[in-house]
Amino acid sequence: MRRSEGNAKVSTAVTDQTQPDVDDSWAVETKGLTKRFGKSTAVDGVDLRVPRGSAFGYLGPNGAGKTTLIRVLLGLTHADGGSMSLLGYPVPRHRDQALVRVGAIVDEPRFHGHLTGRQNLQILAAAREPEARGRIDASLERVGLSHRANDRVSKYSMGMRQRLGVACCLLGDPQLLILDEPMNGLDPAGMQDMREMIRSFVAEGRTVMLSSHLLDEIERTCDAVAIVDHGKVIRQGSISELLSGTAFELKVECSTPGVARDLLATTNLGGAQIAVSDEGLHLGLPPDTTRDVIAEINRKLVEGGIAVYRLEANQASLESWFLEVTSRLGESE
Amino acid sequence: MISTRLMELRKRRGLMAALIVVFIGLPTIFLLVRIILHAVDPHSYSPAGGYDIFNNVVDGVLFVFGFIVAATLGCFAGSVDLTEGVFRHLVVTGRSRVALYLARIPAGLAILIPLVAVGFTILCVVCVFAAPAKAQYDGLNVPAGLSRSAFVQYAEKHADAVDCELPSRNIPFNFPCTPTGIPSGKQLPPVVKLPSKAKLDQIAGKIANQNYDAYKGTFRVPPVSLMIETGLWIELEATLGFVIGLGLSSLMGQRTVPVVILIVFELILTPLLADHTISHLINVQRGFVGVAMARIQPSALTPVFGGQNGPGATRSLPISLTAAICVIVGWIVAWTALGAWRMAKRDV
Repeated sequence: MRRSEGNAKVSTAVTDQTQPDVDDSWAVETKGLTKRFGKSTAVDGVDLRVPRGSAFGYLGPNGAGKTTLIRVLLGLTHADGGSMSLLGYPVPRHRDQALVRVGAIVDEPRFHGHLTGRQNLQILAAAREPEARGRIDASLERVGLSHRANDRVSKYSMGMRQRLGVACCLLGDPQLLILDEPMNGLDPAGMQDMREMIRSFVAEGRTVMLSSHLLDEIERTCDAVAIVDHGKVIRQGSISELLSGTAFELKVECSTPGVARDLLATTNLGGAQIAVSDEGLHLGLPPDTTRDVIAEINRKLVEGGIAVYRLEANQASLESWFLEVTSRLGESE
Repeated sequence: MISTRLMELRKRRGLMAALIVVFIGLPTIFLLVRIILHAVDPHSYSPAGGYDIFNNVVDGVLFVFGFIVAATLGCFAGSVDLTEGVFRHLVVTGRSRVALYLARIPAGLAILIPLVAVGFTILCVVCVFAAPAKAQYDGLNVPAGLSRSAFVQYAEKHADAVDCELPSRNIPFNFPCTPTGIPSGKQLPPVVKLPSKAKLDQIAGKIANQNYDAYKGTFRVPPVSLMIETGLWIELEATLGFVIGLGLSSLMGQRTVPVVILIVFELILTPLLADHTISHLINVQRGFVGVAMARIQPSALTPVFGGQNGPGATRSLPISLTAAICVIVGWIVAWTALGAWRMAKRDV
């Protein structure tokens, strides 16, 4: 189930790339951010706003520039143009102040394999403020690794390394967590744990920005999302608003689909598209289709002598919408 | 931050084993074998310690291989975070990249310096307490530390050996020597007459007088001052190796190639540049840290690079003490700066 529009802190504006809203309460804000590698532009004039206190998805196919943007934000590589800020601090000018309250995983979390989980955290805590050392046990407890803290990381599973990576992020008591593909390599149970952990961070008032190509997971985890492709942000906003313009599909299993199609063709369904398959009828209805319309379709079929076995309604998923949007963008280019 | 860096290096068993083997293991095993052999067969095997052994182990093992192993540690410390992918975690903490780099120096030296000290101490202890009863000077066993007059007197009492073994200048005598010294009258052909004993003693006294300055640099055991000087010199060489390795590996972002480069540098390039004067490149040669380190080598030791054998011998490539110190300091600063700069600018 995707995150709903219930979070009051999420921006309600669906924004196009060229006209973002102006707001000073953003956890992450970029304006015209650009990064090039030779002739290739990995991040292309990105305007991004991540609302505070939300779970924000940065969604795009492989090679879209998601990790590059995160690396630029965190100072792992320099930007070639534009500006950016983390928690209100312009970076890179105030990078050290900004990153004090930021925790991040970029790509796969990597550690010294010959050291234990605890020792790896000690190394990272030593690079932070003194209080970070006192948070090691609590961080391990939070991610469920206390019982394995004194084992070498070389013996950890992929899921345990991901959790240790999250524990690293928590050492600074962060207001902002930036997680790059945190679900990679996790089994369904691991994904569920990670999802719940992310939601718990948001419930504590932290902001979580995660990048992924797993659209279903973004839909389930995040309140808002930015769609990126070929280095450009195509759309950004709350998930519900992004999907509000998407199609509605109704599947009807019935005795005689052909006859049913002919019968419904004479009915005013607001421009619905009707297709017949071995399974029955597939109706593509307008986004604002109500339950009354579905009831009317059922009544028409029954009155027409057609046995209706099943009605199945599907709102288009973020995945189908994402594929539609990016393929339309590709065609227009 | 330094203590956690120290922990990270210390926990690498293979690396620590290599350091211990070179700095402690090799000298210890060598000396132990000599002790055992001398104990089993003292007539065939000389004592385990003494000045000559001290000289040979310092020059042959601790100095040259110490640099290489220290450089290996430096190459490791300079690149391991990058190669294991941990560096980006550290950068993301917000800590300055230069600070992250500089923390590696005291951490590495905290491992290196004690190891060098332990190995060197073992060498000093054995060389002092298992030293031979007499010093070796030009093939002769002589008491060490004699005054000029005492040395002359000793030579007159052992004229046959002194006349045959020690070098002389402008002292006329012409009689054959055997491997055991001046032959007896029965061993000589009839036409050859030996000088009188008094004459032989007088000749020995003159020879001893000529050799006294060189004899003074001979020790039965290394003096305390020499041991302290040598210890500091070896520690400096190891420190140089570590700092250069750290900087080079940070610059290149890896450790294998820098290690190879530094082995070539120490074993091939430095001896070549220190032992031969190339007129158009003499100032470049003087800029090599190996040449500078050879300049500040304790004079009582046989030159490792760039000199003739024997204590106090002059070196092939002249360089002033001030210049040598400047070169050493310059290399430490330059490689530290290069490594820190690259670490600060690198895309991670």
